[in-house]
Amino acid sequence: MEKEIFISNVKQQFMDPEEIVLEMSTEFRQLDSYDSLTGMTIMVMIKDEYGIDIPESDYRASKTIQELYDYVLEKKGK
Amino acid sequence: MDAYINGVSYYLPEKVLTNHDLQNIYPNWEVDKVTSRIGVQKRYVASESEFTSDLAIGAVNKLLNDYNIEKSSIDYLIICSQTPDYLLPATACIVQDKVGLPKSCGAVDLNLGCSGYIYGLGFAKGLLFSGQAKNIIFVTSETLTKFIHPEDKSNRALFGDAATATFITINPNKEFFSAKIKSFKYGTDGSGYDKLIIKNSAGHLIKKQSESFLDEEGNFILNDDYLYMNGTEIFNFTAFEIPKLIKDILEVNSVVIDDITMTVLHQANSFMLDFIRKRSGIHSDKMFIDLIDTGNTLSSTIPIALCKLIENNNIKENNKILLSGFGVGLSMAGVIIEN
Repeated sequence: MEKEIFISNVKQQFMDPEEIVLEMSTEFRQLDSYDSLTGMTIMVMIKDEYGIDIPESDYRASKTIQELYDYVLEKKGK
Repeated sequence: MDAYINGVSYYLPEKVLTNHDLQNIYPNWEVDKVTSRIGVQKRYVASESEFTSDLAIGAVNKLLNDYNIEKSSIDYLIICSQTPDYLLPATACIVQDKVGLPKSCGAVDLNLGCSGYIYGLGFAKGLLFSGQAKNIIFVTSETLTKFIHPEDKSNRALFGDAATATFITINPNKEFFSAKIKSFKYGTDGSGYDKLIIKNSAGHLIKKQSESFLDEEGNFILNDDYLYMNGTEIFNFTAFEIPKLIKDILEVNSVVIDDITMTVLHQANSFMLDFIRKRSGIHSDKMFIDLIDTGNTLSSTIPIALCKLIENNNIKENNKILLSGFGVGLSMAGVIIEN
């Protein structure tokens, strides 16, 4: 699972993907343009792209892109 | 035999709740940021003394007047609502009497939300095809705002009250708008029944006040006496099921998306509609998105959209329009109509 592609996939769910800077350590919910609708589309993207049905509580527990990436990687490994 | 939609009208309560009003009620909330995403600037709200039957009566009278329909010709009244005046009797019975429809008229309530308009068209078509009725008025009417907690700002920003009335018969009426009701597709996933619900109601009514749950920042989450919506679950259901449903609707009607003039989905919120549009490969010119002045009015959003398309003369002869409703239940349905 490519980290760069994962970041880009998350980025595309924001309403201003060209304006924001996302790194593995970014606490993405703290970005100004993040809202609950962004969160919903990130969860849909994870199911579309990685085949993982992420429960809302698990999604909420991931603060950084790295944590979200690790979650998906772990679930995919199972 | 065919079934035709020969007229659609809608009725709104007088009271309006604007974004400006919401900002005054919740001074610390970013109203503009939220409402620009969901595409709503104002919504109509039933007053304390105004009920679902009152809105329904307004819509039926408007339909009778707009399309010069004789009351005496109506032999069936269907009302779709999840916020009826009473648990019993049926709201349709109240409306039959107050509008002055014949006593020989059948009257029944249909308990569905956002998918309800399509189901109602399906019921009407069935009644016509089986010879049980000739001239049907099908009403959608909701006063959901009565069941939204005063502190539930998200749902207050999204939902509005409204009623619509649709005239359905076996003969086309070429004088006005007239659209043939073609083939339907339905779907249900009742495992999500509690994702959009008023828990403390009907048979589950407990006569004590429920406590409100708040998040860490003190924002309202839920109170069992009022409407609860799990937005994420509803969004998920919609994101994965509706593009498939749209494909199935096209298939059962033996058409492809290019044959469709306009797609009118339940106007849940503009963000979700645009998201489904992209996932379904529908061009933005072919997707109706307009809930700016009325908000999400549940089963009324599709007929309100039809009214707007008719008023603006956007439906020409032989145009095919794909209609689909989805949400509470969880329930979904779709059909194609052809002018």
